[in-house]
Amino acid sequence: MLNVGIIGCGKMADQHATQIQKIPGVEIIAVCDKETLMAQDLSERLNIRRHFTGVEEMLQTVKLDVVHITTPPQSHHTLAKLCLESGCNVYVEKPFTIDTAEAEDLIGLANKKNLKITAGHNAQFTHAMIRMRELVRNGYLGGKPIHIESHYCYDFGDESYAKALLGDNNHWTRTLPGSLLQNIISHGISKIAEFLSGDNPTVIAHGFTSNFLKNLGENDIIDEVRVIVQDEDSTTAYFTFSSQIKPVPHQLRLYGRKNSLIVDDDHQIVIKIDDKDYKSYLRYFLPPFQYAKQYVSNFSGNFVKFLKNDFHLPNDAALKTLIESFYSAITQSVPLPLTYREILLTSRIMDQIFRQIKTENIS
Amino acid sequence: MKDDWIINESDRVLITGANGFIGSKVFEILLEYGFTKVRCLVRSSKNLSKLERIADSSKVEVEFSKGNLLSREDCLQASKGVSVIYHLAAGVEKSFPGCFLNSVVATRNLLEVAEKQTLKRFVNISSIAVYSNENIPRGGLMDESCEVDKKLLERYEPYTYGKAKQDELVLEYSKKHNLPYVIVRPSVVFGPGKAKITDRIGTDTFGVFLHLGLNNRIPLTYVDNCAEAIVLAGLKKGIEGQVFIIVDDDLPKSREFLSLYKRKVHRFFSIPVPYPAWLFFNILWEKYAKWSEGQLPPVFNRRSCAVYWKGNTYSNKKAKRLLGWHPRVQMAEGLKRFFVFMREKESKKC
Repeated sequence: MLNVGIIGCGKMADQHATQIQKIPGVEIIAVCDKETLMAQDLSERLNIRRHFTGVEEMLQTVKLDVVHITTPPQSHHTLAKLCLESGCNVYVEKPFTIDTAEAEDLIGLANKKNLKITAGHNAQFTHAMIRMRELVRNGYLGGKPIHIESHYCYDFGDESYAKALLGDNNHWTRTLPGSLLQNIISHGISKIAEFLSGDNPTVIAHGFTSNFLKNLGENDIIDEVRVIVQDEDSTTAYFTFSSQIKPVPHQLRLYGRKNSLIVDDDHQIVIKIDDKDYKSYLRYFLPPFQYAKQYVSNFSGNFVKFLKNDFHLPNDAALKTLIESFYSAITQSVPLPLTYREILLTSRIMDQIFRQIKTENIS
Repeated sequence: MKDDWIINESDRVLITGANGFIGSKVFEILLEYGFTKVRCLVRSSKNLSKLERIADSSKVEVEFSKGNLLSREDCLQASKGVSVIYHLAAGVEKSFPGCFLNSVVATRNLLEVAEKQTLKRFVNISSIAVYSNENIPRGGLMDESCEVDKKLLERYEPYTYGKAKQDELVLEYSKKHNLPYVIVRPSVVFGPGKAKITDRIGTDTFGVFLHLGLNNRIPLTYVDNCAEAIVLAGLKKGIEGQVFIIVDDDLPKSREFLSLYKRKVHRFFSIPVPYPAWLFFNILWEKYAKWSEGQLPPVFNRRSCAVYWKGNTYSNKKAKRLLGWHPRVQMAEGLKRFFVFMREKESKKC
């Protein structure tokens, strides 16, 4: 039996707890939040035995194998360090840390203590992303991608978050080095980092405030970002973050030497773009038919998964997959679902983006 | 000061959630009653134009206190020297922790710093939705004596859950610290400013409007009426610890409301669904949600189905008797104003 604890009893904790409770051989035995009412409420609603207001007290009182940290990112480093030093494996919600220095410190400590740590990049484990990875592994692209496009956007129509953020000048997101971006873009950046080589890619970033926010009198939040990345093998990537594009895209496009791929995470669709040469006018008639066949196949695949009860809102299913894989890495010594290199590279690219945007906007 | 009030018009009152649909009306009515020191706690200094317009026309001392109830500092500032607190701010998020945080934790923060020497009443705004009608037959009366739902988690309604927990907290705090309180549980508040047909009439979740209310009386209260009842709940003598349901007179049947709406606002297709059929669908959905471990969340379930669509009657006798409240806007007039507002909204969409 794996004993699990959760620090931070907000919205993310609910999502984690719900997925953890579906995994056999695992029990959440304690939750912790500095706000006693929040800790008590989570433990009562989800039948969790103990709740605490102090992390150290929880770590000293109960024996935990894994701790999930679902607090605002400013506290991730301190809390994860405490947990690692107490001998617990740690799942840290995204963004992993405030910057790369903190990320390196935590990973170094985990290695030193022979413990495991991972980041909450669950968007990497949706059904569509897993299918894409299989195709890439089987050589569909013909090797490493030549170019990648990652669109990871956000809708300010999601009122609960937008209202909380825009209406509160002290909202915790505003005090992050990358503000709103830091809390959201790691999903989209990690999709790029997965395919890059080397540790220090070239990053060129441009960010600005949308007219939508300016019209609301909000000039401090950058909600439009365009990034170009190039690694040492000359694989390039474009990253797009926007709060204005409709419908809000969460897409990945991989362009290979042999073929290319489109992953539409919003609809759990993977489309293969085969490099086939059709004679004359056939190129206008056969490919649409082939694409239609692929969309039908995506539909039936998704529907069968739904019938088999394996299609919980894609990000919930992905969260469960990531958590289960992390637990397997702890108990069965299989590889971690996310390599430390990928976590660090994501962090480095994000640091560069925030630094450049800050400099650009100051100047 | 009126003889049956607990405070003077010159005493300071606080409204939390003052910028909301009901809060701004509470503010307006307090000014109309002659209150000269009204403090409005608002989350953001943006979008205050409505409140500022009301304040400008009254020429009294209005304070806009910008702050968040999750900050004790802000609560302290807001509650300083206040005689009555109208607590309308609430968590209206989709998640349980979000609603709990912004309803329960926020209320606890406010209660802890409220000045016990000056505070004469805490008016806690709850919701009629917290009641259970499990033991009330179809068509039976729902009033303040009914029991609060003990199994709210099964209803999968974070907002109602937050409100019920907030009420529990106020009761507990009152027992421990002698807090003078009144709980107001408005029914469905409607009026210009809220562009929505209540789910009690029907839902278009499945792409077509399912008319679920049929012959049920819909527990409505026009926003001005509701706001006045709330204001009175903070002023009247001798009602400490009382709970009030606020519902207007002459409640329309769902069928009447929908037919008027279609005539006055815009026509659309709707399918009438009898309660037993809808209940059966809710039972199936709930069972599937449980079996599939939430692949479909249990948003449709037998408890909420009963509360919203079983069909009850409602009484406002207690509010009339103890608050001396009478709906200032008659139902026909309220509906007329609402339909005009909705027609304008619809024409803008076109």
